Amino acid sequence: MKNANAAAAADTRRAPLNFKEGFAKFLFFVCACLSIIAVFGIVGFVLYGSVPAFRDIGVFQFIFGTSWNPNYDRYGILPMIVNSLIVTLFSVLLGGIVGIFTAVFLAFWCPDKIHINYRGNDPKRAQRIEKINRVLHKINLRTIFDQIIKLLAGIPSIVYGLFGLEIIVQMLSGMNGGRDGKGILACSLLLAIMVLPTVTSLVKNALEAVPESYLEGALALGNSKAQAVFCVVLPAARSGIISALILALGRAVGEAMAVIWVSGNRALFPSGLFSNIRTMTTNIVMEMGYATGLHQSALLATGFVLLVFVLIITLSMNFVPKEYRGGKGTRALLDNTGEREIPFRKQGALQDVLFGISVFFAALVALILAIIIFYIVINGIVNFSVSFITSAQAIDVPTLMPSLLATLELVGITLAIALPLGICAAIFLNEYAKPGSKVIKVIRTFIDTLSGVPSIVFGLFGMMLFRNTLGMGRSVLVGALTLVIVVLPTIIRSTEESLHAVPMSLREASYGLGASKVRTIFRIVLPSAIPGIATAAILAIGRIIGESAALVFTMGTAFTFYGDPSGAGSSLAVLLYTCANEGLHMGEAYMTAFILLIFAFVLNIIVYLIQRGVRKKRMN
Amino acid sequence: MENEKKNPNEKQKKNPLEIFDFSGENAIEVKDVDLYYGDFQALKKINMVVPKYEITAMIGPSGCGKSTLLKTLNRMNDLVEGCRVEGLITIGNRNIYGKDMDLSALRKNVGMVFQKPNPFPMSVYDNIAYGPRTFGIKKRSQLDEIVERSLRQAAMWDELKDRLNKSAIGLSGGQQQRLCIARALSVQPEILLMDEPTSALDPISTGKIEELCAELKKDVTIVMVTHNMQQAARISDKTGFFLLGELIEFGTTDDIFTSPKRPETERYITGRFG
Repeated sequence: MKNANAAAAADTRRAPLNFKEGFAKFLFFVCACLSIIAVFGIVGFVLYGSVPAFRDIGVFQFIFGTSWNPNYDRYGILPMIVNSLIVTLFSVLLGGIVGIFTAVFLAFWCPDKIHINYRGNDPKRAQRIEKINRVLHKINLRTIFDQIIKLLAGIPSIVYGLFGLEIIVQMLSGMNGGRDGKGILACSLLLAIMVLPTVTSLVKNALEAVPESYLEGALALGNSKAQAVFCVVLPAARSGIISALILALGRAVGEAMAVIWVSGNRALFPSGLFSNIRTMTTNIVMEMGYATGLHQSALLATGFVLLVFVLIITLSMNFVPKEYRGGKGTRALLDNTGEREIPFRKQGALQDVLFGISVFFAALVALILAIIIFYIVINGIVNFSVSFITSAQAIDVPTLMPSLLATLELVGITLAIALPLGICAAIFLNEYAKPGSKVIKVIRTFIDTLSGVPSIVFGLFGMMLFRNTLGMGRSVLVGALTLVIVVLPTIIRSTEESLHAVPMSLREASYGLGASKVRTIFRIVLPSAIPGIATAAILAIGRIIGESAALVFTMGTAFTFYGDPSGAGSSLAVLLYTCANEGLHMGEAYMTAFILLIFAFVLNIIVYLIQRGVRKKRMN
Repeated sequence: MENEKKNPNEKQKKNPLEIFDFSGENAIEVKDVDLYYGDFQALKKINMVVPKYEITAMIGPSGCGKSTLLKTLNRMNDLVEGCRVEGLITIGNRNIYGKDMDLSALRKNVGMVFQKPNPFPMSVYDNIAYGPRTFGIKKRSQLDEIVERSLRQAAMWDELKDRLNKSAIGLSGGQQQRLCIARALSVQPEILLMDEPTSALDPISTGKIEELCAELKKDVTIVMVTHNMQQAARISDKTGFFLLGELIEFGTTDDIFTSPKRPETERYITGRFG
């Protein structure tokens, strides 16, 4: 990379800075700075919207007030803060433990191939088992598990919400003696499932980044593999694990749509695992639709408090020490006690148990995904109705077509704006900025911060900027403009990775022929990075299709759609929300969930195929 | 502990870690060993006897199988997929590829130092206490005893006694490698395998490690793979020369370097190839 920079620097020095080159560089720089502008914009607008609340209610009264009753202008959010924090901690504890163990299994024990060993003498049976083995050898268990984790990550929040409402709440209701199953425990379980894929994939990356030599060193001392993994490798990956957990905290505290139906919606302090609660996020979603004046401002202020929590969580990531720094002071040994005979005993039973736990949790994760898919698919099929798909759109009855079209238009507009911006930002970061320079560090921090902002806060921001300030109505365009900011970090990161993978020699060859930097980027670098950019686009599509919290207040919830971007409409995910929210159109909700699941599945497969193609090409 | 309470008779039962009997003359006996990585044969009919409390060096050009043989001696090769060993390797009177061989016991008694120093990301103290801890030593006084003894054995005590709480990652490369030797010694092995232990180090650190080896052979048998012929000549008692998976010649270091019997050996030690 250093060479890359030297070459780049030499190139700019050699070529006279003409207008075109300078302008292009400026443009890329501006795009890269968009994330900074976006973060400040979000904080600014949400804060601006909450000023009336903070002023009229008082910051202290607002944050530490214990009663929320808009009818009497009582706005205290302490119970909701407490609820949010409890649910977040529980879910990250649960999801974190399961996720870490699953990651350990995937990184160290998950076999590539499954094989049945037959030791009997029956030749016929041996032949049959040989046949089965040949089929089994085609299945790569590790790839399947990777895809399971990715699919779990790709399922939209609102689908999780439906699953939580119907399965988790019912299950817990049984545990609670038939009473209501909603509340702390239901929220925690659901959020735990939702943070699982984040924790698992990040911890797996961290574990795989630990040098192989640590594992070997421990084994050579007589450790069992389980001892080596749990006593040396896992602690060596601690900074990655802590970062994963922090990221999970941010996800869990900001999740809105998934918990909206399982929380029970009572803005009181919790008194037990089954006490109904309202979190900060659900408070906003529940009431923003009809709130005006001070009430609306109080909801925005709730969003601001949430945002502050998320920012603290995200920024704390920067303080995780990257490597072991050693203890403080010196360590004095006890006086020589002259114990000559020190008996060594074989240990490792505990680690064997931990190994068992990691197999169990990995199986559990696969089972959870299977249950979710089974549940959505079965209900989608059982509730299949032709009229939902074919009948003409109406104001009062949900139909599929308008939502499908609105979703496609939303995806189209969002990508048309976000892709060029994201690619240009990635170009600046990878081709122009010096790696490790301050500019890059600052921009990266803001990109990370932006990607940690909860959907619901994006929704508030879109509402404040486009509707309240610019006077636009709820429309596909406003939704798309909001989502541009939502997907920007994903696009930038994925594109950057692919630009980074383009060999330096290609650039040098182009410079060697006298091509300018801009020409080299557009003719040589970008075309080589197309698979990565396509991946970026697909990840963005997945996020757009699954997004609901950011769209309810920006794009609207209308059942109808006439094709005009300036008109309101509801995306599929929002349609699912509206259908299930009042419990009137559950059949339609299930069908929509089924369709969303198919989208998630197909997008995952496309990403997998692209990445496999790239890997094969590199290997050749 | 619980087992002992349940079956008082079992108390007399042998510690599963102490299954080896090193009272004999030879530490390691390798007989007709073939080793395959998948279809590729990496070792061909190796026969070799490593005497106790000596330094045995294994030399030869890259890819000749010397490291492979070293790694079969504590079965680190088990980690390599598709690796198959045929023949007999006896250590301390036990067939180490036998069915009931306990890998923990084997590797506790046959320690290993790697080409690149690989201290764990822990403090100096914890690095050395790590091995004993995984064998159930919890008492502070016993751990202290082991840490001091191991560091003294590795001639590092004076350097490190005031820095036991510092990160091992912060040590210099040579110190890291000697710390790894101390770590290997902490579980009191009978045999120490060294896989090019000085190839990543500067000459001064290399010298220190060679001195250390000469000192250590009073207590442990050392088998060392080295790229460096002078090193083999300087410190080893026996030398084996490997070429293309075969043990071409094995004998006392003096014989190998002054009057080699095989022409390949002579050409290699006179620097004509390799």
